[in-house]
Amino acid sequence: MKSPREARKTARSLFRACLSGGRLDATRVRTVTDTIATEKPRGYLAILQVLSRLVRLELERRHVVIESAAPLAESEMKNLRADIIRTHGDDLTFDTTVRPDLIGGLRVRVGSDVWDGSVRARLEALPV
Amino acid sequence: MSTLVQEIESKIKGLQSGAAHTNTGRVREVGDGIARVEGLSNVMLNEMVEFPGGVFGLALNLEENEVGVVLLGSYGSIKEGDEVKTTGKLLSIPVGKALLGRVVNTLGEPIDGKGPIAATTYYPLEKIAPGIIKRRPVTQPVQTGIMAIDAMIPIGRGQRELIIGDRATGKTTVAIDSIISQGRLNKQGEASGDKDFRPLYSIYVAVGQKNANVARVISTLEKEGAMPYTIVVVASASDDAASQYLAPFAGAAIGEWFMDNGMDALIVFDDLSKQAVAYRQISLLLKRPSGREAYPGDVFYLHSRLLERSARLSEEAGGGSLTALPIIETQSGDVSAYIPTNVISITDGQIYLEGDLFYQGIRPAINVGLSVSRVGSAAQIKAMKQVAGKIKGELAQFREMAAFAQFGSDLDDKTKGLIERGRRIVDLFKQQQYQPLPVEMQAAVLYAMQQGCMDKIEVDKIKDYQAKLQEFLETRKAPLLDAIRTKKAIDDALGAELKAAFDEFGQFYK
Repeated sequence: MKSPREARKTARSLFRACLSGGRLDATRVRTVTDTIATEKPRGYLAILQVLSRLVRLELERRHVVIESAAPLAESEMKNLRADIIRTHGDDLTFDTTVRPDLIGGLRVRVGSDVWDGSVRARLEALPV
Repeated sequence: MSTLVQEIESKIKGLQSGAAHTNTGRVREVGDGIARVEGLSNVMLNEMVEFPGGVFGLALNLEENEVGVVLLGSYGSIKEGDEVKTTGKLLSIPVGKALLGRVVNTLGEPIDGKGPIAATTYYPLEKIAPGIIKRRPVTQPVQTGIMAIDAMIPIGRGQRELIIGDRATGKTTVAIDSIISQGRLNKQGEASGDKDFRPLYSIYVAVGQKNANVARVISTLEKEGAMPYTIVVVASASDDAASQYLAPFAGAAIGEWFMDNGMDALIVFDDLSKQAVAYRQISLLLKRPSGREAYPGDVFYLHSRLLERSARLSEEAGGGSLTALPIIETQSGDVSAYIPTNVISITDGQIYLEGDLFYQGIRPAINVGLSVSRVGSAAQIKAMKQVAGKIKGELAQFREMAAFAQFGSDLDDKTKGLIERGRRIVDLFKQQQYQPLPVEMQAAVLYAMQQGCMDKIEVDKIKDYQAKLQEFLETRKAPLLDAIRTKKAIDDALGAELKAAFDEFGQFYK
């Protein structure tokens, strides 16, 4: 059984090998996971678990969640996506949700950065 | 021109958005006062982060894929997946004179039930200590009111003097006596209307102590009238490890405000061994590599950066000072353990209290041989230097000779005289707790010893002689005490008058 530290180290180096120009290459990730699954090296399960976490964190970093109090018009959504792609790059994945509890306005999350322009956030920011 | 400015301003208005930008993360794991958070890509070291329900944490470990956060306060409501936000703020505490007479926790919140504290200024807990240019040497004394300390191990304003000893040897009592002495001196100074009088405010930081002990200290300070000049910071044994680790830094921030504003403050850290233990707990939970005695590698830096913050500032920097009295508890008198040696090397001297002396009835149980003050002698007033200069040497000689005398060999008169004088000095330095003596009284009593007035008194009568002499001087010869206080030295004329007073007292003392 490989020690967790060694598994982390191996997974990290495999993860780095999956990057192409600083971006995650899905084909490489699939190739790596397939190879590990078939060849089953020492501690392969731990390596895969760590690798899966690293891939998840990287994908979350490039994932955009747009939350609005009411459904947005197609044109509004298109403009918004174009703006985000212009500032953050074109390798983003998008998710849109309607959250009536925001009362009004938008909340956009890109990775761990959040821009909150909702009425709810402004109400919460008011001094008690 | 104005239209151009208006155009730019309207452009700026158009670009400004009402959206608040924050950096967030999600709780991956929580337990033992530690949360591991994924995300928080822009968090800074020691930045405060906010959890749902108004719980705050401190980002202490910035790792490749997650952040180790130490939680402050109750964290029972935090669960996996909760959103965490950065605040862009460092942990700060309210400071100022509004805190005097109050008891606060590590975050500066009042815990004495006397209502909110009206403080307008906040200081960060972690602050870089004043540099070389801003400092000046220690020359002003801190009158602890404990004769053995003021005479032999004097402490100056801006000094860091360690109080070290086993459990129940009177470490806290020495510190509390010093605070009580400052309270009395401050009251006296304010009543005298002396414009040059510089009050010394006290801060008592209780770390990892029983709440009952803290309550007893507070009631003593209140009873002795020292509380109006004192601030008590409490992180008791029931508080979380993070609060215990941060409490000394909170106290230092409060003290720094006094120093930065040209005032003098005294801070007691009671005690730094428990703070080191709390820091060890946090470090181990954060999975930092452990070193000697399982303490993390930066435990020396923990104490050195804290104690470096006490200083005496130059006139240009306001002339304030912060004196530190850290306390360290040893195990079975082992001063060569990890934390004691660290703090001994950081401080400007130590007062070593010994269990054996304590049980022999020598209280305060100061071991004169192992206690030292590296900078304090420059701060001693001339009168004390005159009367106490030789005492440390005489006591050391006495201890050496007393060991010889145990063999029962015949002793010459000189040695006998030395031993007899030594026994009397040891008895003279015995002092009841919470009864600090003013410096002029200490000088007068020690002058009486120096002049040989006590040589004919039986050793077991020395304390009685001293008490009656003090009463005599206070009631009948008060101008002499005033003269020592104002002149700060015993010149020939004053010396002659004192001798005459001792002779007069000697005639009717029984």
